[in-house]
Amino acid sequence: MRNPLRCSIIAFGILMVVLSNGVHAAPSPGTAQGNTPAVRFDPHDLSGVWQFAPGGGGQGPGDNFPPLTAWGQAKYDANKPGYGPKAAPGGNDPILKCDPMGFPRILFVIWPFEIFHVPGRILMFFEGQHTIREIWMDGRKLPDDPDPRWYGYSIGRWEGDTLVVESTGFNEKTWLGAQGQPHSDEMRTVERYRRVDRNTIEFNLTIDDQKTFTKVWYAEPRQIKLKPGVEIPESFCVASEEEEFTRRIREPAARPQAKE
Amino acid sequence: MNMSKAFLSITVMLLLLSRSASAHHGNSAYDETVRVPIKGTVTEFVWSNPHSQIYVDVKAKDGKVVSWAIETNSPGILTRAGWTRRSVKPGDEVTIILCPARNGAPVAYIGSGDPGTKVIFSDGRELDFTDKTAK
Repeated sequence: MRNPLRCSIIAFGILMVVLSNGVHAAPSPGTAQGNTPAVRFDPHDLSGVWQFAPGGGGQGPGDNFPPLTAWGQAKYDANKPGYGPKAAPGGNDPILKCDPMGFPRILFVIWPFEIFHVPGRILMFFEGQHTIREIWMDGRKLPDDPDPRWYGYSIGRWEGDTLVVESTGFNEKTWLGAQGQPHSDEMRTVERYRRVDRNTIEFNLTIDDQKTFTKVWYAEPRQIKLKPGVEIPESFCVASEEEEFTRRIREPAARPQAKE
Repeated sequence: MNMSKAFLSITVMLLLLSRSASAHHGNSAYDETVRVPIKGTVTEFVWSNPHSQIYVDVKAKDGKVVSWAIETNSPGILTRAGWTRRSVKPGDEVTIILCPARNGAPVAYIGSGDPGTKVIFSDGRELDFTDKTAK
């Protein structure tokens, strides 16, 4: 302790760095890997703004879905998406009219989302369509006969350092992703979130919908990345504005043979 | 800097080594394998979610004016790229590097999923779609 003042300044600096990284009381604190100094994080605290990393299934759970049932095939044939193997100008993507994107599609879009831990719940606040999804963490069970919803009904629990979320109670009006993948109101999903370092969550999704698919669909694993410093802005999809956009840009761009 | 010379060529062909999602609903109406410059005067900048829009009048050599309608990203993405609702104003003289509609209509896309698309002002300033918050 040759220079107590200098030691105090260094200690204070270290404390500020730790606090600025948002470390909380951790059940099993982790550390970041890589060339940068290890940053402690709480794997049970997913607070912050996050966004899916590019890749995998793009803006959806992917094209690698299991064989469709006859019901699922008919629904898929009717969908005319802007992405994937069936992509074409125009189309009938429900979100073109500002319909709610629904789950799980809202996860995969090009905008970030924020996670909040509140008593008894985890909330996901999505920039896309300015939507909140709630995950009940109070030990309740899934309802036996839920009303169909755009975002379903979700309960979560911790299995070690993995957040496991089960959902049911979806309506049939949404697509699973931008590629037009269908689903029914019998769909049940399981999400798994595991924070492996301060900036990364590993994500897995299972879709069980026997009315649509002949097998359970294990979607491609994805990574979700922390977006430090990003704030979620107001970002409603307003039907009247979207109609005007369609009139001025979408329809002229999709019209066949515009050349003279 | 005489950019008009540089952009006199008809079409800038760029093979994209990698492509990420450009819009949330799909961009199949646009040719994202090319980058085409247009030069003109901004008539309107619509700052709205989920599609902002830039409207530009382009005058041809014969004096005929073609009005272009250009789709771009949401205010959230544009804000993270350093834009504001005042970044582009009616009367601005701009060159825009864009992905044109496949059908030949004067409609186009510029945005975060298509590297190289951007707005260049007459004083040389540029606005692109790089996420400035990315660490």
